[in-house]
Amino acid sequence: MSNDMRAQPSDVVRPRNVGASIKRTEDLRLLTGRGEYSADRKPDRPLHIAFLRSGQPHALIARIDTAVAQASPGVVAVFTAESISGDFKPVIPFSRMANYYATPIMPLASGKVRYVGEAVAAVIATSRYLAEDALELIEVDYEPLGALSRAELAVADDAALLHEEAGTNVLIAREFRKGDVAGDLEAAVVRVGGRFEMTRKAPLAMEPRSYTAEYEKRRDAITLYTSSNIPGIVRDAISESLGLPGHRLRVVAPDVGGSFGSKGSLYPEELLICIAARKLGRSLKWTADRLEDVSSSSQAFAEIVEAEMGFDANGVATSLQADVIGDVGAYSIYPWTCGLEPVQVVSFLPGPYKIGSYRGSVRGVATCKPPTGPYRGVGRPMSTFVAERLMDLGAKALGLDPLEVRRRNLVRPEDFPYRIASGIIWDKTGFLECLDAAAEAANYEQLRIQQADARNHGRLLGIGIASYAELTGIGSRIAVAPGMPINTGSETAKITIDSTGAITAAFGVASHGQGLETTLAQIVADDLGARFEDVRVIQGDSDEVPMSTGTYASRSAVLGGGAAKHASRILQEKIKRVSSHLLEANQDDIEVSEGKAVVLGTDRAVTFKQIAKAVYSDMKTLPVEAREELTATYTYDPINGTTAAATHIAAVEIDPATCFVRILKYVVAEDCGRIINPMIVDGQVHGGVAQGIGAALFEELVYDDDGQLLSASLVDYVIPSAPEVPVVDVVHIESESAVAGGFRGMGEGGTIGAPAAIANAIADALSPLDIEVSILPMTPERIFKLMEQARLKSRGKADE
Amino acid sequence: MKPAKFDYIAPTTVDAAIEALSTANGEGKVLAGGQSLLPLLNFRMARPAVLVDLNGIKELSFIKLRGDRIAIGALTRHREIEQSPLIASKLPVMAAAMRHVAHLAIRNRGTIGGSVSHADPAAELPMLSLFYDATLSVQGPSGRRSVAAEDFFVDALTNCLEPDEIVVELEFPVLQHSGWAFEEVARRFGDFALASVAVSVRRKSSTIDDARVAVMGVADTPLRLRQVEGKLTSIAIDGQTPDRFAELVTSCVSANGDLHASAEYRQHLLGQLAKRAMQASLAAKG
Repeated sequence: MSNDMRAQPSDVVRPRNVGASIKRTEDLRLLTGRGEYSADRKPDRPLHIAFLRSGQPHALIARIDTAVAQASPGVVAVFTAESISGDFKPVIPFSRMANYYATPIMPLASGKVRYVGEAVAAVIATSRYLAEDALELIEVDYEPLGALSRAELAVADDAALLHEEAGTNVLIAREFRKGDVAGDLEAAVVRVGGRFEMTRKAPLAMEPRSYTAEYEKRRDAITLYTSSNIPGIVRDAISESLGLPGHRLRVVAPDVGGSFGSKGSLYPEELLICIAARKLGRSLKWTADRLEDVSSSSQAFAEIVEAEMGFDANGVATSLQADVIGDVGAYSIYPWTCGLEPVQVVSFLPGPYKIGSYRGSVRGVATCKPPTGPYRGVGRPMSTFVAERLMDLGAKALGLDPLEVRRRNLVRPEDFPYRIASGIIWDKTGFLECLDAAAEAANYEQLRIQQADARNHGRLLGIGIASYAELTGIGSRIAVAPGMPINTGSETAKITIDSTGAITAAFGVASHGQGLETTLAQIVADDLGARFEDVRVIQGDSDEVPMSTGTYASRSAVLGGGAAKHASRILQEKIKRVSSHLLEANQDDIEVSEGKAVVLGTDRAVTFKQIAKAVYSDMKTLPVEAREELTATYTYDPINGTTAAATHIAAVEIDPATCFVRILKYVVAEDCGRIINPMIVDGQVHGGVAQGIGAALFEELVYDDDGQLLSASLVDYVIPSAPEVPVVDVVHIESESAVAGGFRGMGEGGTIGAPAAIANAIADALSPLDIEVSILPMTPERIFKLMEQARLKSRGKADE
Repeated sequence: MKPAKFDYIAPTTVDAAIEALSTANGEGKVLAGGQSLLPLLNFRMARPAVLVDLNGIKELSFIKLRGDRIAIGALTRHREIEQSPLIASKLPVMAAAMRHVAHLAIRNRGTIGGSVSHADPAAELPMLSLFYDATLSVQGPSGRRSVAAEDFFVDALTNCLEPDEIVVELEFPVLQHSGWAFEEVARRFGDFALASVAVSVRRKSSTIDDARVAVMGVADTPLRLRQVEGKLTSIAIDGQTPDRFAELVTSCVSANGDLHASAEYRQHLLGQLAKRAMQASLAAKG
């Protein structure tokens, strides 16, 4: 499936594991039901939580009566905002951004509800069944304030305010400017533009959000098992909110069944479960059901972009402007803020292209919906959709092939590092190489011939291209979310060989499906000189490293991997020092590999087990000063981070009778730097493309004008299943990055490229009918409507 | 999302099941495959006081040839019908439709009695029972009675059963036809139909002398289009027949709209599927 263009020799000497398609260590337990998720924890006599959720989109809470519920069988407590008000400090998603209002995060709605699904009260009972029975006995009197259902309406001067203290429903406003856009657009030979929209989407991890708080009475301590990809951030935030120091609050992300961003923010329920555990002195469990997960986990996209691009006579894009309105939902999220998704749209809009002048303005508007938050690709699925549609519109107007217009505008190898018009700097990455490789793998010219032939037979066949670039593995110089005060630029690895000779590598990063247990062990094995199967990786546990923020923003291979490399090398030096005593050889003559230290050119060797025994147990072999503890800790910061890029090509056919889209061919050529595990990279690309197909063709959270979610179950919220996902051909352009190991982050790319590529393919397929694609998902219903309009229009023309 | 409290009874005979339902006095609900009922219980949209589990009544699971009819026990799983050679040879439209019934895991549990009783307007088996003129055997406290499929479906998710009656078997008359087709469009393979058309015809030289037509997914109940059937027997078969058939179908159905498909789009699909179905039915060499 993959044909690789291999990298230059790496700084890894004779790598054995990095670059190999090693089967994932975690799969045996996950696929045989032996994984341990948060809900699998079995603390002593746990209590269960059920949340009463608002059915009102926007209302004052006039009265809550919990008396009958309190007396219901099995109920231990019923909490409301009032009854826990003294037990925590609100968490504020702070940012230094101008024109930003940080809505405080409360465990339960206080005074007012702001979306359907917001938690209003929590029942704690001996079983979830009894807790849900008691929910029905809580009486809440609401005074409705009218739903703010759409961002375009919520910005009106006379719109009701969701957060009165903010004084506006625009929670964030920002503008990026470079050059004279108006002048350049004026001078452009070809100007193309449109109004583009991606509707609201659910990240939809297979495992819903799930928390188990284990309370330890003897020292008033909590261990929170959470289905989070940011356990370190959760630990720090709850510690601050509850006044519990880190050594009495351990936060562990055990096996986690996917996140896609939905488990990448602090949630009110995480606060509540810790508050309740402490208040009651009991261990507690809560797992969202699918309805709760879809209607209260952070959501994605919900943006409308009015954009325009200007080209000169040579097909060079000279100017770009865009006005983005993001429907960010009812609250800002912690720690990323409500600016995360919409601001990234304008940050990344110029994409991998050398566009001279740029103006991008964005407003994030509060509405009565769950907050939007990080979603695989953050901002870039939308920015890529817009930029790639504009590229195709430009190509059409200029009479250029879509491949050619990209070739004329992509940043070229000699231009790197290149600062795009929004200010982001791309380091040397294979932009053009990806474009060419994708075209070659897709047999692009042949596809065009096939298309022409199909069109002659009245068939609707289309080809779509999308090129993009993303920042990954971001270091301390760049904030993952704009103006955010948390350092997301470093990660720690702590590698230890214990007295039995066993190797444990501990990280704060937290895999939720990425296979870090495998890839980090591959790195450690090579750089330490151990056997892969002897390295145990511990991750996502706040007790293991002093500080970590977790796995998000395509950072763990770069930051965790970089920390692993450095720590492994420090530890290998220690091993060499110890073994030089044991082997009576010069340190420089010792090579460490396969779990042994060997004197080069001899058969004299000591195993890690023998070395550990000499260091820790045997009091005679080594002088006291040579008994160095076999452990190394390293905190790695790539400072800037690195770029990843890809080109996707999709070929689709639309059935004019049913208006269904069938994907005939899908090719991805991607550059994620040195590949640690090709099988995992392919899996990430396949999964990302599958999700991108969901965004392009299927998935849509529909809220009506009263703020009610109409697609709240998986019958109505339609995701692609196996038959809807084609074979994806992946080509790897392995150009090494400048960070440790030469890695680039790659977990998000699939979802960035796929919506745009499929949108362009659909537009291309429908171009004989003069139909453009400006909204995703392109459901059969939408295609039907567009085809009907085109039919009426052409009939109108014929009548004239 | 946990069900409200209910009592659970698992009888091993039909009589015991009826007695349990009678005792429940309208507060009972029958559990067969559970593929529709359990979500309703978990959403607390159904709150029976008593759940009567039929899965222990082994005699309700069978597929038999009875003269010129196929009899299917109410507890027969979708998967058994899908894989039955008898169904494939005698009720080919049903055999073709079964592959569209949800997903394999659901077909392994779901039952024919459960599906027709649930009366989902976008489910295949209620439509097939209309299409084949099935007779449903219904048992209650005073014994068995027969109900024609045509009288069984009252409204969306509503049948004509009394609270203490259950469907025990269905009889499908075998059609001696020359050509047939089952066409369905769903968002994804296995989803509820956006629209579906079943056609079966008997050709006599250049005319159709008997026809069956049913549609589903477009109205509150599945629809048997007898009017269209009647008109088909009076037209000569030519290249225009599929188009004329599509016009006949769409002119006597007014499709509903919902979240997944507007009324206009459903109406469009119905016409397209009708055309495809008639093309396939006429192409068959009977």
